[in-house]
Amino acid sequence: MLAFERRWLLRIFDAVYPRQTPGAPTSGAADVPLEGLITDLGSHAPFDFMLGLRAATWVVTLFGPLLVGRLRRFGSLPVSERGEVLEGLAHSRLYLLREIPMLLKMVASLGYVGMPDVQRELGLSVVDSQPPSWARGER
Amino acid sequence: MSGFVHGLSDVAGQAAVRDSADVVIIGSGAAGATAARVLTAAGLDVVVLEEGNPTPRDGFRQDAYSAFKGLWRDLGFTAARGRVLMPILQGRAVGGTTVINGAIMHRLPEKVHAAWEHDGAIDDLLSYAGLERTFDQLDRELSVGPAPDAVFGQNNALMHAGVTGIGAKGNRILRNVQDCEGSARCGQGCPNARKQSMHLTYIPQAVAAGARVYAACRVSKVETRGGKAVAVLGEFRDPTGSARGPSIRVEAKRAVLLAASAIQTPVLLQKSGVRGGLVGRRFQAHPGTSVMGVFEDEVNMFFGATQGYETTHFWDERMKFESVSVPAEIAATRLPGFGAPLQARLANVGHVAQWGVQVRAEAHGRVRPGLGGGSSVSYDLTPKDVARYRVGVRRLIEMMFAAGAKEVWPGVHGLPTTMTSPDQARALDALDDDPRRYHFIAAHLFGTAAMHRDPRAGVVRPDGRCHAVDGLYVIDSSLFPTNLGVNPQHTICAIAWKIAERIADGGTRGRERDAA
Repeated sequence: MLAFERRWLLRIFDAVYPRQTPGAPTSGAADVPLEGLITDLGSHAPFDFMLGLRAATWVVTLFGPLLVGRLRRFGSLPVSERGEVLEGLAHSRLYLLREIPMLLKMVASLGYVGMPDVQRELGLSVVDSQPPSWARGER
Repeated sequence: MSGFVHGLSDVAGQAAVRDSADVVIIGSGAAGATAARVLTAAGLDVVVLEEGNPTPRDGFRQDAYSAFKGLWRDLGFTAARGRVLMPILQGRAVGGTTVINGAIMHRLPEKVHAAWEHDGAIDDLLSYAGLERTFDQLDRELSVGPAPDAVFGQNNALMHAGVTGIGAKGNRILRNVQDCEGSARCGQGCPNARKQSMHLTYIPQAVAAGARVYAACRVSKVETRGGKAVAVLGEFRDPTGSARGPSIRVEAKRAVLLAASAIQTPVLLQKSGVRGGLVGRRFQAHPGTSVMGVFEDEVNMFFGATQGYETTHFWDERMKFESVSVPAEIAATRLPGFGAPLQARLANVGHVAQWGVQVRAEAHGRVRPGLGGGSSVSYDLTPKDVARYRVGVRRLIEMMFAAGAKEVWPGVHGLPTTMTSPDQARALDALDDDPRRYHFIAAHLFGTAAMHRDPRAGVVRPDGRCHAVDGLYVIDSSLFPTNLGVNPQHTICAIAWKIAERIADGGTRGRERDAA
């Protein structure tokens, strides 16, 4: 995944799990070192999965805002509208478009909700108190 | 003499590994490990080759992603291709899928057995009475029983209320666990080493009796000579990275047993020259989908037996319903919405229950060798199958409300994201049977090297022997003529046990029958 694609993907993760949501964990995806997860996926995930993840990132970033009537790039939308873009895609009439935000949410969830600090904020019992290896900069 | 489990680090620096045994088994899951246990107990020399890494015996304490990376094939991202992309869940570790499954032990339904018998797929080796005795022994050795109250968990208890509430009958699931602590993390490998997976039971037993297990060992083909399987070829390769080790060749004096799953077994057959006919065809599964419900009181699906309650009340309609606890990371993926609404639902995840329906699908798919040495699976549900999901999801919604859910998230495209009344479930009746409305996961895979007396109707004989190659056996769920409608681990173990017993006997009875 190229550097700019990673930036795009991190913005999408931020839209999936924004920080400072009232009544929710104070942290958001932006507070978690998800770059490490992207790197780890690049090393271990099947080639076609990574291809799909990259394609999903491009579609959301470049074309997603059109769904909510905005002629802007995804990253320049306010955070609340970014969530609307993903929600709009998830309800698309086209199956492949519907799957895109689900794929992105799955990856974001594996990273963000896998962090022990987030699990503690959610009141869940933490199986491993150490952050995952990708969050510690290990492969 | 004690054997060993060797991984990549144990063979690093060697140019090549050479070994020989009476029986070489490919795969260390339910089928392979059971066969290793039976064969070594009978005094045979056994080598087991496993593509996944060695597994620790003191439990797995890690996040879901790390577990998927270490224990699941391709991180769980393998998918069958058809009108929908359907993830296929398979373990890849010493112990195979038993390391990451829900610990459910179900005996082969008598109606399925009768159909196999009627179709000429099986013979007296797999008589129901004989299988029953093996099931009993497996129950004893693998500590099969229902989850006790102390670790039953509210996700399971609510499903009991829901099933009863719609007038159906259900039961606590029989599970192969010992002193379960209710971590609800079966899918990531039990953190407390309570699930009696093969890496904790039959693999250590076989190793103690002399079996040699080569892990991180990817088999490339079975070598044949004069129409007989004589050896297995492969190489050591870290399944989670790029590190490679030496090649390996293991000579098989008596037999080679394929126990690599209904996807990898037919691919190995094809790579070994057993092509055409039904190899890789008739791929069947039990795809599943789930519904979530929100309750006033705390559910905490993260405590209790991962899958502790089921109903087979609708089995004749090809449906089985189960409670399904998943880790928070996966639950979050299934929660509706994005952004602030998703965060709000996540904050309330402790009040969410999840139950699923698996359908004994009529669809047949196909498995072929894929690019880069992998596999490719094509699979499409039939319209009748999809209609069953429509009915099944409706029943799940009704169960949720019957159990007291204040809202239900059906997760079906074309339905409201949130339902607040059971009457809303009627909306399902108006939906067409398009599989793309649902999110499926395919587990329980069957049929890609089916057994049958007639070589035109099967790939292997009723005792697992390949019709085309002597000394080559299929012992996993590839040889099942059909899917079961229940979780297959128990049946896989029992059939592998019976075949292994016959091999230990020298296979004389099978050969006598062929001669006759």
